[in-house]
Amino acid sequence: MPDNWSYVFAAYGLAAVVLLAYWRRLAARTRDLAGQAARKRP
Amino acid sequence: MAVRVLGWLAVLALLAGLVAGFGYAPREAVQGNVQRIMYLHVPAVLTAYLAFGLVFVGSLGYLLTRRPGWDRLALAAAEPGVIFTGITIASGSIWGKPTWGTWWTWDARLTSTAVLFLVYVGYLLLRGMIDEPDRRARAAAVVGILGAANIPIVHFSVKWWRALHQPSTILGPEPSPIAAPIALALFVNWVAFTLLLFYLLAKRTEIARLEDMYAG
Repeated sequence: MPDNWSYVFAAYGLAAVVLLAYWRRLAARTRDLAGQAARKRP
Repeated sequence: MAVRVLGWLAVLALLAGLVAGFGYAPREAVQGNVQRIMYLHVPAVLTAYLAFGLVFVGSLGYLLTRRPGWDRLALAAAEPGVIFTGITIASGSIWGKPTWGTWWTWDARLTSTAVLFLVYVGYLLLRGMIDEPDRRARAAAVVGILGAANIPIVHFSVKWWRALHQPSTILGPEPSPIAAPIALALFVNWVAFTLLLFYLLAKRTEIARLEDMYAG
């Protein structure tokens, strides 16, 4: 069977993009909440 | 600080997993290099099982104690669980095209995994539709408990029904027939994905805690 590297890279690339996007979303939300906390402090 | 350390550990373990999957594990004799998708596909589904198991624990804990920490655990586990299930389905589909000749077939394993994915997408949507915290947590807990019933269905589907998908070679009743280098690469990637799950879980739980604090 041929190696089909393009399928391998597509699978790993897609997983990397999805996981990175989720991590960035969590990081942005954390920053947002930290900003809210800083504004609430007297 | 501990969360950051966990994050770096996960990154290092993922890099080790790539080295193990692409450098250490040999080219598979029948499928060729496309089999290397297994080092992504199998750890992703095992991590999704673990995540949904934690949703079950958090949901049960909430219904028994009504402590919001359990609900936060369930929410924090459901999101990565959906992501890892999505990765499982997508990587399986990409692997299926060169090996089975099709992106998708209504095989018992594929169909039950798609149902698992949709159940927990529904779980997250349900959470977004209810504003009152206790009502939201109770409704989500019921779905979180009922949804877990699908995990054994997914896992044993290849045994219970005639399926195109291969039977379980790990977590199966018989000793695994996988060659040692392939099993080791799989193990390293499974550890890496589990660390990543716990990192994402810790981050998401902290976000949920802060959100509850500002909402309340």
